[in-house]
Amino acid sequence: MRWLQFFRKVNSMDALAARAFMDGLDGAEYNLVDVRQPGEYQKGHLPGAMLIPMGDLEERHADLDPTLPTFIY
Amino acid sequence: MLTDRGFQKVINMAGGIKAWNGNRAIGPEDTGLYLFTGAETLPQVLIVAYSLEKGLQDFYLSMTERVIGEAVKNLFEKLAGIETIHQERLITEYRRETGTYLSQEEFETTQVLGAMEGGLTTEQYLELYEPDLENETEVVSLAMAIEAQALDLYQRTADRTNAEDVRLALMRIANEERAHLKQLAGLLD
Repeated sequence: MRWLQFFRKVNSMDALAARAFMDGLDGAEYNLVDVRQPGEYQKGHLPGAMLIPMGDLEERHADLDPTLPTFIY
Repeated sequence: MLTDRGFQKVINMAGGIKAWNGNRAIGPEDTGLYLFTGAETLPQVLIVAYSLEKGLQDFYLSMTERVIGEAVKNLFEKLAGIETIHQERLITEYRRETGTYLSQEEFETTQVLGAMEGGLTTEQYLELYEPDLENETEVVSLAMAIEAQALDLYQRTADRTNAEDVRLALMRIANEERAHLKQLAGLLD
């Protein structure tokens, strides 16, 4: 078990600030990841978000560019 | 987990989608992907994108015949005009990429497919959003929903494309949809 990950600081941003941040960037300049389940994604998701359910992140994180800011919801 | 894997900046969006007050896209991950096999060349992607823009423009123009109010008629014409600018950009890129000069008319006759922006049909959009077509705010909201769906489609296709030139073109088109969304939001003000 990687205990360290439970104590690592993850930044948080409210939706308004996140939207303003993304509005100022080209879509290629950030990752936007929907970590919910496919059924929730289907009902409504942020345009352009990549669906990677939380349980698949370990396997699929290579689909994302780690050098870019990564927004998760 | 991601920070553990070397991701430099991970930002949790507080409140999740419930707190998001912008546009949303709907449908499963493969919505509209029948339009793109993933093996298209850049000119082929430009043809599909053009076809989608054209489909939307035709929809807006058909609405001008259907609505009664003068202001909302003008609004639909304005929305159709926005699509014209995007189409011109796409056809210019197509000509440059293929080294051929097709007039817009020739291009539309020989290349353009029947499709609607975002990968849903006109009827599907109208059923989903049930807009009051005489209400300008609802019409702009419908247009924004379609643009959001289109942005989502281009981004999802880009995420699945291996050819770098095609991926970059799809990202460019997705960014144009982002710009459309901002322009439409301006109409609501």
